[in-house]
Amino acid sequence: MSLDPARTMMNDCSSIQRPLAGIRALELAEIWAGPLCGAALADMGAEVIKIESVQRISRGPIRPGPGASGYPDGDPGERPWNRSGNFNAVNRNKRSVTLDLASPRGAGLFRELIAVSDVMVSNYAPGVVDRLGIGYEALLALKPDLIVVEMPGYGKSGPYRDFRSMGMAIDAVTGHSSLRGYPDMDHTQLSLVHHPDAVAGLTAAFGISAALHYRARTGKGQFIELTQSESFLPHIGEVFLEYGLTGESRARRGNSHPLMSPHGCYPALGEDKWVTIAVRDEEEWRAFCRVTGIAGLADDPRFIGLESRVANREALGRAVAEWTSARDRYETVEMLQQQGIPAGPVLDCGADTYADPHLLERDYFQVVDHPDAGTHLMSGPMWKMSSDPQPRHEPAPCLGEHNGYVLGDILGLGADELRDLEQADIIGTRPLQGADMGGVRRVGGS
Amino acid sequence: MPFLALRGSRVIETAGGIAGPYCGKLFAEYGADVIKVEPPSGGDHSRGRDSWPTEGRDIEMSPLFLHLNRGKRGVTLDLETDAGRGLFRRLVSQSDILIESSPPGYMTSIGLGYEDLRELNQRLVMTSVTPFGQTGPHKDYQYTELTIFATGGAMFREGRSDREPLKYGGEMGQYFAGTAASAATMGACFRAFMKGQGEWIDISIQECIAGHPHQMGRRAPFVYDGEADPRNNPRQGSSETRETYGSGTFRCKDGFASFLPLGARMWPNLARMIDRADLLEDTRFSSLEGRAAHNSVLEALFQDWFDSHTMAEVFAAGQREGLPCGPVLTPPEVLADGHFSDRGSFFQIDHPQAGILRYTGHPFRLSATDQFRPTPAPLLGQHNREVYEGLLGVGEDDLDRLRVEGVV
Repeated sequence: MSLDPARTMMNDCSSIQRPLAGIRALELAEIWAGPLCGAALADMGAEVIKIESVQRISRGPIRPGPGASGYPDGDPGERPWNRSGNFNAVNRNKRSVTLDLASPRGAGLFRELIAVSDVMVSNYAPGVVDRLGIGYEALLALKPDLIVVEMPGYGKSGPYRDFRSMGMAIDAVTGHSSLRGYPDMDHTQLSLVHHPDAVAGLTAAFGISAALHYRARTGKGQFIELTQSESFLPHIGEVFLEYGLTGESRARRGNSHPLMSPHGCYPALGEDKWVTIAVRDEEEWRAFCRVTGIAGLADDPRFIGLESRVANREALGRAVAEWTSARDRYETVEMLQQQGIPAGPVLDCGADTYADPHLLERDYFQVVDHPDAGTHLMSGPMWKMSSDPQPRHEPAPCLGEHNGYVLGDILGLGADELRDLEQADIIGTRPLQGADMGGVRRVGGS
Repeated sequence: MPFLALRGSRVIETAGGIAGPYCGKLFAEYGADVIKVEPPSGGDHSRGRDSWPTEGRDIEMSPLFLHLNRGKRGVTLDLETDAGRGLFRRLVSQSDILIESSPPGYMTSIGLGYEDLRELNQRLVMTSVTPFGQTGPHKDYQYTELTIFATGGAMFREGRSDREPLKYGGEMGQYFAGTAASAATMGACFRAFMKGQGEWIDISIQECIAGHPHQMGRRAPFVYDGEADPRNNPRQGSSETRETYGSGTFRCKDGFASFLPLGARMWPNLARMIDRADLLEDTRFSSLEGRAAHNSVLEALFQDWFDSHTMAEVFAAGQREGLPCGPVLTPPEVLADGHFSDRGSFFQIDHPQAGILRYTGHPFRLSATDQFRPTPAPLLGQHNREVYEGLLGVGEDDLDRLRVEGVV
């Protein structure tokens, strides 16, 4: 076993049978869509094995925003590829094996692994797995009831089938980009997004679980064609029906809402601190006027009735902002929530989220001990299961950390063979000299 | 009859709004029998508030409700009555999954908590979808998409540094939570089938948003080395991983197009896209640092090219060079797009009151089972007779009495 005994004990300390315990999934995936799918499966107890290589490393920070930093203590360390915060967050609870799939021996070992696996997740660009000879059709002979999910941007058919995509492009082509942004500024001000990647990944986790259920009933595997654009379209599905019913295309709303006012993001006490408020009906409006005590608000003819408040939302927004900007955002939220009015602080992803009393009370963050990155509070699963009070919190794997476990314990290779593979650069735990460290060659279904 | 992946599974959905019903929708899309249970007075609140773009609201014609609830059967039931709870228990006894979104503690207070229902059905998977989950100091807080998107940490980085943070378009946080709920529910349902073990799943919309890779990625630098999480202006500053003059959304001749080339490797492709392969010989631009130093020169060169090309031309030229890019389309343009038409990404469903409309299709396609076109969203109480008489064996007279008493 290449697993550290302490970690093995941690893995096995409970007798919990997580939902996907006993399911093995191979993940050929980068960035978000595939890795988030793998994380969801792993959170549910599946053994998720990332297939990586020492020829090409795709672990770098790709977070939106300036800089490529984000290493523990600002230090890339001796093995920076094991210290990427972004990578380590989205690859929790997985195993890593390196295999040069372009070499016949690497590809052969991959095929052996497929034969003892249940699921393959890939989000490589269109055609890549087929070129590597490991597309669904080719793998069926090895494992007839295999479940394979591929996540191209646009699908295996249609004029865009070979097109490259990232979340930003899918967001644009599906119509969501046209709905976001400041209504008074043009689309050049749109922030970068990868949201559709994440939607694809989670939807794939549902699809795989459904396919496992189907396989258990019928003995049949399945190819799941999960097109990132098609998995994202239903997340704005009502907008297309709105158009069908009214003949009008929805205009950008920013933070406003056609049926709620006040409804917005207002400045709070402190630098770049904000609070959101949504007043849903007349009763809440009366409560809002009462509890804020803003002089003259309740009787102001511009704000009597929803229609007036919507029409005069900017004037109303100024009055609300004047009141909120004098108060701590949590104080405002508590005051309004006491009246049953929806309000929430705008939390950043730095100190704010880690200080949120509610997330802390619920133990959302998990203490994760990573051999190369140290001990940190990392994000837990997106759900809590009553049978699993201590969610799985194993670190993301180091590059090739589980070569011994995967090739030795699962496939039965001996120590000599492993050494030989390492000498032939088919496996390893460090990038080869001159390896491609830049990440995304196979841009596409990101 | 089509051959469906989840045929034979039954889901009871009392959840209202977006996240819970989107979870139920995914089950309905793949053939589960999803029975939507609505309060007799007015039904799911997505039939009214939060959803209507126009005057003259009709609870049967809410776009949000029509979208989220197609393919489901609909019954009415008042869970505040003894008779209603009795029928509900019978429904749950014959089902695999319950998706609910009532305030934490409510189901237990009316005798329908997980422990109560498990007595009736050991294999039951109960998924509770609420804004803040079942526990914690904020569990009773109210929410809308705006406030929960902010509280989940997604809003702060959206927008410009000199302005207020922005929510996304639509209801993204709630849809995302519904998708997470579907994955967890389906996983637990698989184990229930294999091992007979039920589950209670606690979905907090806030935690789903906080667990989104966008947010995890933004938190990582903070937790690793204390870096703040700023709100950056689009295309602002330099980046070690992006060509900033070629990332973001650009005005072109007839609209806008978005790009996200990753890494310096994309420079030659970008230069070729604008027919300026000669720039590759220009030493000013031969390194990442050089291009960053001359960012404004490059921006101007690219903008000139964008100004003289249409969205479609930009899309074609970008794709010719393997660049992840796409035109910013409006919903009607998406509906008219040749690729989505070719693939049947939208399909028509005829609803008795809303008429024929084009709906978004299945989120993924399965090779071993049939695709099918779901039925339209149910009218309020449309399947009362079918479900109460057909499934539970309630007599016609009894059903009439329940109707008179307002139970259904």
